[in-house]
Amino acid sequence: MIKVRIPTPLRSLTKNQGEVDVTADSITDLVNTLEASYPGIKARLCDGSGELRRFVNIYVNEEDIRFLKGKDTTLKSGDEVSIVPAIAGG
Amino acid sequence: MKDLVIPQAILNDMIAHARELAPHECCGLLAGNNGVVSRMYRIANIVAIEGAQNLSSFDSAKIAHLERLSPAERAEIAFVMDMQDFSTAKKDMRNHGLDLQIVYHSHPHDPARPSITDIKIATDYEEIWPKINLPIPSYLLISLMHTTPDIKNYWIKSGQVSNASFIVR
Repeated sequence: MIKVRIPTPLRSLTKNQGEVDVTADSITDLVNTLEASYPGIKARLCDGSGELRRFVNIYVNEEDIRFLKGKDTTLKSGDEVSIVPAIAGG
Repeated sequence: MKDLVIPQAILNDMIAHARELAPHECCGLLAGNNGVVSRMYRIANIVAIEGAQNLSSFDSAKIAHLERLSPAERAEIAFVMDMQDFSTAKKDMRNHGLDLQIVYHSHPHDPARPSITDIKIATDYEEIWPKINLPIPSYLLISLMHTTPDIKNYWIKSGQVSNASFIVR
């Protein structure tokens, strides 16, 4: 089981849950698994080709997937994944 | 807490960044050690990219406001950091043993104080910094509303804003 931390802007899609547990063996698999339970979440995270959008980041156990293998980063049970929205302001 | 030290050259570079992008908002990071800033990272403002406003913690009124504007106009009243740039900067900090100290952005038309949106998002982000192995930074604002830029730095914690003074040398 993998624990996924959901940031505030996406909690409207996850029934207000800040953490959800999923079973997945890669980031791509995790995004697809989340999409099956929480429709709409994939489009917020990935572009049409499945690449991570520039205004979001994903960390696996505090490491940035952009410095692992991106969407192909492998996952194992016990990993913690954080979806991190961009720093922003007005 | 000891005052942060920002070298004059880095301050000048931040002002140059703000002026280059005006009337759009610029954004970036300052890092260093022991309260002394030694490196600046310009980060692209990607608020104009479709969907960017939906993944940040903008409140619904701000999103409605942004969506009334053209993509080019959105950057006049908001910023969203490019997380690819952010990741590159974070990696550089780690490689050089630097700590994140300041998140900066410009207000081309408004005073150098955090907007309601700035305060809300900084407060939401408080729980994120430790998860990405970064200390909670202070927030520096560069106002270009007058001929002489006004620069102020703040702590934003639990929705409360306090002055974070700094020394330029």
